[in-house]
Amino acid sequence: MQNRYRGTAITACFVVGVVLFLTVGQALGQSSTYQAERTTDGKPNLNGIWQTMNTANWDLQDHPAYPGLPIGGAIGAVPPGQGVVVGNDIPYQDWAMEQKDKNFTNRLTEDPEAKCYLPGVPRATYMPYPFQIIQGTEKMLIAYGYAEAVRTVHLDKENPEPAPIDSWMGRSHGTWDGETLVVEVAGFNGEAWLDRAGNFHGSGLRVTERYTPISPNALMYEATLEDPDVYTRPWTIKMPLYRRLEENARLIEYKCIEFSEELLYGHLRKESGQ
Amino acid sequence: MISRNIISGLFVLSLIASPVMIRAADYHHVHVTASSPAKGVEWYTEHMGCEPLADRDDAANCDGVELVFVPQSTSGGSPGTGVNHIGFSVPDLDARMAELEAVGVQGSGVRLQRNEDGTIIRDIPGLFKIAFIFDPWGTRIELVEDEEYLGFHHIHLSATDPAETLAFYRDVMGGEEASLRGMLDGLLFEDVWLLVSQHPEGTMPAQTEGRAIDHIAFMVDSFDTEGPKLRQAGVEFQEEPMVPLNARTQARRAFVMGPDKVRIAVVEAGFAGVEMDLAPVVEADLGPYTTPQTSWGVPDLQGLWRADISHGIPLERPEDVDVAELTQEEAVARREGGTLGGIWGYDREWRDTALGFAPKAVSTQVALVVDPPDGRIPPLTPEGEELAASAATAARAYATNPSAGPEDTTPYVRCITRGLPSMMMPIGYNNGLQIVQGPGYVAITKEMIHETRVIPTEPQAEAGDDLRLWLGVPQGRWNGDTLEVTTTNFNGRASYRGSSADMTLTERYTLLGPELLEYQFTIDDPKVWTAPWTGMFRFSRDAEDGQYELVEYACHEGNYGMEGILTGSRARE
Repeated sequence: MQNRYRGTAITACFVVGVVLFLTVGQALGQSSTYQAERTTDGKPNLNGIWQTMNTANWDLQDHPAYPGLPIGGAIGAVPPGQGVVVGNDIPYQDWAMEQKDKNFTNRLTEDPEAKCYLPGVPRATYMPYPFQIIQGTEKMLIAYGYAEAVRTVHLDKENPEPAPIDSWMGRSHGTWDGETLVVEVAGFNGEAWLDRAGNFHGSGLRVTERYTPISPNALMYEATLEDPDVYTRPWTIKMPLYRRLEENARLIEYKCIEFSEELLYGHLRKESGQ
Repeated sequence: MISRNIISGLFVLSLIASPVMIRAADYHHVHVTASSPAKGVEWYTEHMGCEPLADRDDAANCDGVELVFVPQSTSGGSPGTGVNHIGFSVPDLDARMAELEAVGVQGSGVRLQRNEDGTIIRDIPGLFKIAFIFDPWGTRIELVEDEEYLGFHHIHLSATDPAETLAFYRDVMGGEEASLRGMLDGLLFEDVWLLVSQHPEGTMPAQTEGRAIDHIAFMVDSFDTEGPKLRQAGVEFQEEPMVPLNARTQARRAFVMGPDKVRIAVVEAGFAGVEMDLAPVVEADLGPYTTPQTSWGVPDLQGLWRADISHGIPLERPEDVDVAELTQEEAVARREGGTLGGIWGYDREWRDTALGFAPKAVSTQVALVVDPPDGRIPPLTPEGEELAASAATAARAYATNPSAGPEDTTPYVRCITRGLPSMMMPIGYNNGLQIVQGPGYVAITKEMIHETRVIPTEPQAEAGDDLRLWLGVPQGRWNGDTLEVTTTNFNGRASYRGSSADMTLTERYTLLGPELLEYQFTIDDPKVWTAPWTGMFRFSRDAEDGQYELVEYACHEGNYGMEGILTGSRARE
């Protein structure tokens, strides 16, 4: 049965891939042949401070505006947005679909973001905060504004090694495919969510990210998620990353722990008058 | 009864037993990890009743079994491996445990294992009373009250198939089948037991090599006669019998792999271990060094660095020290003090055991403060006195009073930050520092808590005065081969010894050699100190095998300590 699904999945992927290829080719026009500026060692230069401009962190899929936080009036509402999932469907297994719905119901207290926990990958990319790529020759560091999240992308190891220990951010290995940086990420602890709508993955997740320069100030970001424990087939999200062009652009620390403490430890607090 | 020998740098236990298939081997030694052999001998002499050996400084005689202490970093304590613990028997366990409890962890490294109900002794009906402790370096020790076999009592293995494991030590090493008080099947090697428990279902014992108990050792008369018998018994030598490098005698040693990945040494009579060189002091080669350049033409400081060599250096020169530099012996002694003093609540697995053990050696610096040259921080201003006093009061309050909420603890306990320059300082564990560079930027990631500073090396527009951050706003520049970083705009909430939000921190990172990075920090905070002052220490590169990498330190995500602190506080009220 699994094989049958796999076959279907491969076919589906192929079809999606072809469609995607055609669509992207048309949509991006000459951008598919864009040659990025080079680093001194001849690789596409991805250095910079980048950020998405979408609502993926609220909900990866197409969604109208809906109520969010029960306080703060319209400030807490969820902004509407077009999905970033290629094909819009997330191919959950039945149990996982139920879990996703449960997560949605409990999102205000159960989303790891509410607890200021590490965001995981790919969510770190489309949190509504900038991140910075520091591109060396052997290692690349991706430092995220949110929660001191950070990833070392190992460019100097030929074969992906098993992660020494499961983690929130996983272990990343990068290779170059022409103009594209391909990063394979695995070794997750399965605790992270994918958005505030409760989309999630398990510890078996493998992410293949593709960072492709499409203009001096934009990268196309694609991430394919495979987790046979949770999904019926691999699926892909896709979105542009924009360079922060402010002259004084800096990555500003966002240490959110203190804002999560009431949620996490409020029940252990000394009651007033006690 | 047994010749006491040490094997290359591990704690060895030796026993003799009567042969079954082959002539019985004796226990010879147990190879135990310590951060210094002398400290290991001292600890086991003081707390376990072993005796120093007259002719050796790296082993103690515990009832005919040698404990050999080898300084090395370990990847974990003894539990979890095929050698779970070693046992000692005392005539009055209650009195003994009371003594050990009174000694306290701090300064002694004696760590008691408590039962769920908070007691430390259990009475096993039909057997005897037992208790468990850990030595400072992660070896688990069982203390029992077995008057029949006082002193070194047993080696306790953890096996996936206890019967098979017992058969191995009986048939190959010559242990004598016996039953401890009719309750526990085991083997006797002379008067020391070998006991075996079932390893937890669903897991496999980890290999002992590289752990707190690296191996156990048995002695045979000679490999000439016993070697063939061992092979006949199906033993595979992992390392053929040979006289090890720097051995003290001409007796040979071999290594074999026992069941459950237990490393076993077999030594010939007369074996007396090897001479270990203490790691040399870092005077390193500080001659002229040309710092390599990145492909875009700036000094290349990238790599993984560790501050372990600098752990234990006091911030200020102690009043009674008037030398420019410690001797190597003094530096090692200081490192050991730090090791033993640094073991408190956490399990050994949370700490770099060898706490001060660093392959490159230990720093002989007298103090972190290098300017003023007397190694003492300049006097506080009147306002600084107040700030420092209030910081000290807050620290005392946290240590003694219940915490009403997370805010009553410290930013470090809350996993927010250690602050600057604290986050750079050497500490008892997770001392890694990773530097990654890209054009125009240097990123410095500290393993502890995981904090990253992205430092621009090209001039950036000054940050506005209202932008106040825990770690401030850094601006870097290259000064020759030195990276200089000036950081301002602190929020002042992670104060360093009273430092204010107005502090200007200037740091200098300089390679002294391919494997040595010097770090200097100058604190200029006129509100608090009457003059700027500078501290310095060094990081060494993890060049050994490139295995060290920053593993995600998800501090806040696993901050069970905060729940414990607050739950405890509520319970106290």
